[in-house]
Amino acid sequence: MASDVREQAHGSVASQLHSSEEDRAFDMTTSEKVVELLNQAALISTEEKLIVLKQVQELIINKDPSLLDNFLDEIIAFQTDKSIEVRKFVIGFIEEACKRDCELLLRLIANLNMLMRDESVNVVKKAILTLSQLYKVALQWLVRTKSVSDMQEACWDMVTQLKEDVLALLDSDNDGVRTYAIKFTESLIITLSPRTPDSDTPKKQEGDISLDKIPKDHTYIRYDTLCDEGKLALEQLLKFMVHPAISSINLTAALGSLATLARQRPMFMSEVVQAYETLHANLPPTLAKSQVSSVRKNLKLHLVSVLKHPSSVDFQGQISTLLLDLGMSQSEISRCTPATVQPRKRLHHEPYVEGKRTKMVEDDDDKEEPAPVVTPKPSSSSGTQSSIDLTAEFLLPLLNPENVANLVLISMVYLPEVMPASFQATYTPVESAGTDAQIKHLARLMATQMTAAGLGPGLELCKARDEEVKEEDGGMGESSSKDPLIIRKLSAVSLGQAISVVGAQQAAYKSPVTEEAPQIKKLPEPILPTTQPKAPGASGRKKVFKLADVVQPFSEAQIEKLANMAIKRILQSEKAIAQSGMSHVRVKLLARLVTQFEGGKKNDLLQFILEDMRGRSELAFSLLFHEYNEYLGQQPSGSLDSYEHCLFTLLSGLQEKPEQRDGLFTKLVLEAPVITDSALEVIQRYCEDESRVYLGMSTLKELILKRPSRQYQYLNVLLNLSSHEKEKVRSTALSFIKRMYEKEHLKDCIEKFALTYMQFLVHPNPPSLLFGAGEDTEVAASWTEETVRQCLYLYLSLLPVNHCLVHELAAVYTEAIADIKRSVLRVIEQPIRGMGMSSPDLLLLVENCPKGAETLVTRCLHILTDKVPPSPELVERVRDLYHKRVPDVRFLIPVINGLEKNEVIQALPKLIKLNPIVVKEVFNRLLGTQHSEGSPSMSPLTPGELLIALHNIDSSKCDMKSIIKATNLCFGEKNVYTSEVLAVVMQQLMEQTPLPILLMRTVIQSLTMYPRLAGFVMNILARLIHKQVWKYPKVWEGFVKCCQRTKPQSYNVLLQLPPPQLASVFERCPEMREPLLQHVHAFTPHQVHSIQAHIPASVMAVLEANSRKPEPEPQPELHHPEIIEEREVCCDEAEVATDLFFCFVMYIRV
Amino acid sequence: MPAHPLRVAVVCSSNQNRSMEAHNILSKRGFDVRSFGTGTHVKLPGPAPDKPNIYDFKTTYEQMYNDLVRKDKELYTQNGILHMLDRNKRIKTQPERFQSCKEQFDLVITCEERVYDQVLEDLNSREQETFQPVHVINVDIQDNHEEATLGAFLICELCQCIQHTDDMENEMDELLQEFEEKSHRPFLHTVCFY
Repeated sequence: MASDVREQAHGSVASQLHSSEEDRAFDMTTSEKVVELLNQAALISTEEKLIVLKQVQELIINKDPSLLDNFLDEIIAFQTDKSIEVRKFVIGFIEEACKRDCELLLRLIANLNMLMRDESVNVVKKAILTLSQLYKVALQWLVRTKSVSDMQEACWDMVTQLKEDVLALLDSDNDGVRTYAIKFTESLIITLSPRTPDSDTPKKQEGDISLDKIPKDHTYIRYDTLCDEGKLALEQLLKFMVHPAISSINLTAALGSLATLARQRPMFMSEVVQAYETLHANLPPTLAKSQVSSVRKNLKLHLVSVLKHPSSVDFQGQISTLLLDLGMSQSEISRCTPATVQPRKRLHHEPYVEGKRTKMVEDDDDKEEPAPVVTPKPSSSSGTQSSIDLTAEFLLPLLNPENVANLVLISMVYLPEVMPASFQATYTPVESAGTDAQIKHLARLMATQMTAAGLGPGLELCKARDEEVKEEDGGMGESSSKDPLIIRKLSAVSLGQAISVVGAQQAAYKSPVTEEAPQIKKLPEPILPTTQPKAPGASGRKKVFKLADVVQPFSEAQIEKLANMAIKRILQSEKAIAQSGMSHVRVKLLARLVTQFEGGKKNDLLQFILEDMRGRSELAFSLLFHEYNEYLGQQPSGSLDSYEHCLFTLLSGLQEKPEQRDGLFTKLVLEAPVITDSALEVIQRYCEDESRVYLGMSTLKELILKRPSRQYQYLNVLLNLSSHEKEKVRSTALSFIKRMYEKEHLKDCIEKFALTYMQFLVHPNPPSLLFGAGEDTEVAASWTEETVRQCLYLYLSLLPVNHCLVHELAAVYTEAIADIKRSVLRVIEQPIRGMGMSSPDLLLLVENCPKGAETLVTRCLHILTDKVPPSPELVERVRDLYHKRVPDVRFLIPVINGLEKNEVIQALPKLIKLNPIVVKEVFNRLLGTQHSEGSPSMSPLTPGELLIALHNIDSSKCDMKSIIKATNLCFGEKNVYTSEVLAVVMQQLMEQTPLPILLMRTVIQSLTMYPRLAGFVMNILARLIHKQVWKYPKVWEGFVKCCQRTKPQSYNVLLQLPPPQLASVFERCPEMREPLLQHVHAFTPHQVHSIQAHIPASVMAVLEANSRKPEPEPQPELHHPEIIEEREVCCDEAEVATDLFFCFVMYIRV
Repeated sequence: MPAHPLRVAVVCSSNQNRSMEAHNILSKRGFDVRSFGTGTHVKLPGPAPDKPNIYDFKTTYEQMYNDLVRKDKELYTQNGILHMLDRNKRIKTQPERFQSCKEQFDLVITCEERVYDQVLEDLNSREQETFQPVHVINVDIQDNHEEATLGAFLICELCQCIQHTDDMENEMDELLQEFEEKSHRPFLHTVCFY
């Protein structure tokens, strides 16, 4: 009939048709014309051929059917035409011909069978359509025939076989073919079920055959068999509908078919409504959003059409609920509901179902469930229907708020990650939540799901009942008793595949199913073939070629192997492809391929890249970016593992390779989209390699400056390197950090790090992180010089840049233990010197001098003044400190040359009491005899003044021993204390009154050093006599000793002594008397005259009187006078300790 | 590719603007195309939104044109109605109602959801006979000249793609998904049977 319509469109064909009056006259010519046309058709193009063939068809079917038989073979010959359209025409022709003359079926059905297996789907589709028509034609024809011939039997067998084949095509791979198969199934069900008075049959199909027209006593056609086949077809259609991956078009078609079935065969109303219900609750998750709307629109349309049918009366509740859910208003629904309905339609169905059994079921219904059943169900309702009702009944009282809340909570776990489009589309806020109606609806929804999953009391009950029925049935026909079983089995299987959005129960039991990823695209797999395409049967028909039948899927291992080999080939074709200039394609391809695979291939590729990293860097980058892309694609749940592995391997490879100096490493690091932790470790290792430390750190620096988001992490790596054990690594790191320290935003971080490290020093033991991760940390390791330094490297390098930090050091210093203090003092020289004494912060430190940090401050002062004279500011601060806060004279030493003369003199007593080494230092400073070759500092005291000051120290302030030691130091400096200087000193001392105690000691020392001073000394001695030197016991003692030493020059001086004093001299040294007497006697007369005149008699008396006493009295104390011996040092031990430490402070050098 | 050209129907509500624009373009591209309206009357904009010009489907484009020229030539020139009618009468004589056409198509394209619903209702209410499928696709197009032009091109592209498929029914789903992504509008799609 399709061709009919098409023909109308073609005027050319119509014009060639002749009116019926002329028929007879042109009888001959019709035949001739057909021959002519057929001859033409063999030669012309497809399009014209179609026109011509249609003319022929018109002529031999409608105009002169008697010709049909004659030309049949000629037309059928076109079934092998290469044009699809021509083959389709042949099918159309077969249909028309068979309709015209049923007998032709015998000859043509085989051709249809052949065309049904045509390679073109469009031909197959056309064949399916034709079979829908011819099935009815064939059935009718056979029913009419009273005695069926063998030929007819064979023909019917083939028709039946074809029917089965088309039903099997419900599982076809082709969407369109499936659609046609659905329509065929629909038509088949209509034909194989009885028409009833309430059937809504289209006018044109009034005459069509249906089950009710088939006599039950037909010789060949079995009513029961056909009836079963019809039911089976319905089952297949219903099963097809619930496939979770059904395409939207198939679903649409099936929905329409169901509506047709419900209207034309109201006995199926129950199955149809139930199928709609199930579908509504389980829209296939594979549908896209717009497809969901299309399907819902269709569902609504068909539900309305079903609702309009009078037999829907028993299902109005369910249908309205569905329609409400689909967004139709109550008023619209009522408008579509048939107004007057006959209450008991079901009576009309009875002729269909075998009377006896129906009654029994009804009887059972009445007996077993007398009250609870809601509405009287149509007798045709299947077991599933009632079990849903029962389960819903059972659930209803259980749906209290608490249970529902629990169900919701439990089902949360099973919700898919992405909301399926179907759910999104179908979700409408529940307006009537909590009302009875809504709870009933919910109970029913759940019951549908549970029954489908094979659960619930309703199902149990029904099963039990069915068993009973079966038993009672006893010898009943097998087919009928099998019926409910089949349905149940089917629904259990099919709904196991349906993905539930609502039903938590199902999800709980079928979790593997729910894990099926909700894909939006096409069908992943064609419908599961439950009925295998039949093996070539007795009819000897050819098997359709299906690729899937002849090929075996590879095993995992084979796939793996093939993929590996393919990738290897691409890898190895490097040169060939490079020559062809398509290497960028190869790179892209490799990267993409490998990114998608796990494990082995990736490593192979990485290895390949590393073999010649320079040459294959492009590949490396491409791979890296692809990996990253992959990761981005999987957001937000993606993992960086794969990317990380890739980056890590590349970097490690570069790092481990020696002599890779072309900056590839840097490039890789800087271009990598993300630096992962492990990559950072590689960078760190790279930096630790002494030969590449500079490159590594430059890279790190770039990272820090150009990747602000994680710069602190990178910075931390660099900072950690600043305390590295390798000197080169450390110093490079420090210089990089110093440069970075100038950047305002990094400053804080660096500073914090440095201070944190320094803070470690206050701990009793060094923290484990100083030992690096590798070493097994002994918890109680003690501080060593090295560990202390590690904590300070960074800090000390920052100090000259940021002077404020010095205060932190002081704070830490005060808390640290002695060992650490020592180390600190040792390492600060450079930075402190770098700061210079004009640094305000350093001055501030001196001014504040925290308690406990005195040694630190002193050390700083020493460092500062080591080579240069102290600045007035510094001197001022120190003076201040000394006077106001810490009266420790040692502070003054470094700045001593900056002090006023009197200050120095005041401090002297304290200074000389210090440790000899310190005292020496002080003197060095004061005397300008420091070992430095810098500008000589200007001492406030001249050497002479110093010596004099020493003599004038109040002995109550300082013990004589120290003073003597101090003067000895002066005498030690022969270069400074020349004879002239000493002469001046002696001169000045001698003029003092009272005489300094040490005067004579100094005189003697000077004399010892410079014997040529003897004359001058005589002079001094003579003048001392005038000053009545004997009044100062100590000086007098020295005087005597000096005379003794300087004899014989001193004789003249002795002679000037008054007699008592001379006597005193002799008392002390009796051995002097004789030589002196002889000296006097030895005077020449001239001398005698001149001298004797001066030698009073009393003196002579002393000289001579005692000459009789020859015995010399040894006087040990004169040989070892206390004041002259200076060896021993007696101080208490504590004093010694601090002084020693202090010496240490001054002399340590880094 | 099917040997016969795709038989296409383009349907809007009044068979004036959207369907005619598409009809125009499709026929120029060689499609076997017809256009229809689904409304009970043909409505054209009038002097005010609540005063449209209403004709029945028997009125020819020519008659409408003359009627409007008589009523207010300037207004209808300015809003493009006369131009549109002028174009329409070159394509065919008068608007056609989809529900009255018994010809079979391979593809029916509707221009708004309401029209789509009406087409579906009509097709489903017909008695099925041959089971020849017809695909109905809705492409939402606003009823103004610019959108009509854009929509017509989209429809044309869609038809060309469908025409070029080897097996239209097998590839339709995928094709529409692609088009949805490309054009960022949802297509309603269903199949009906004659």
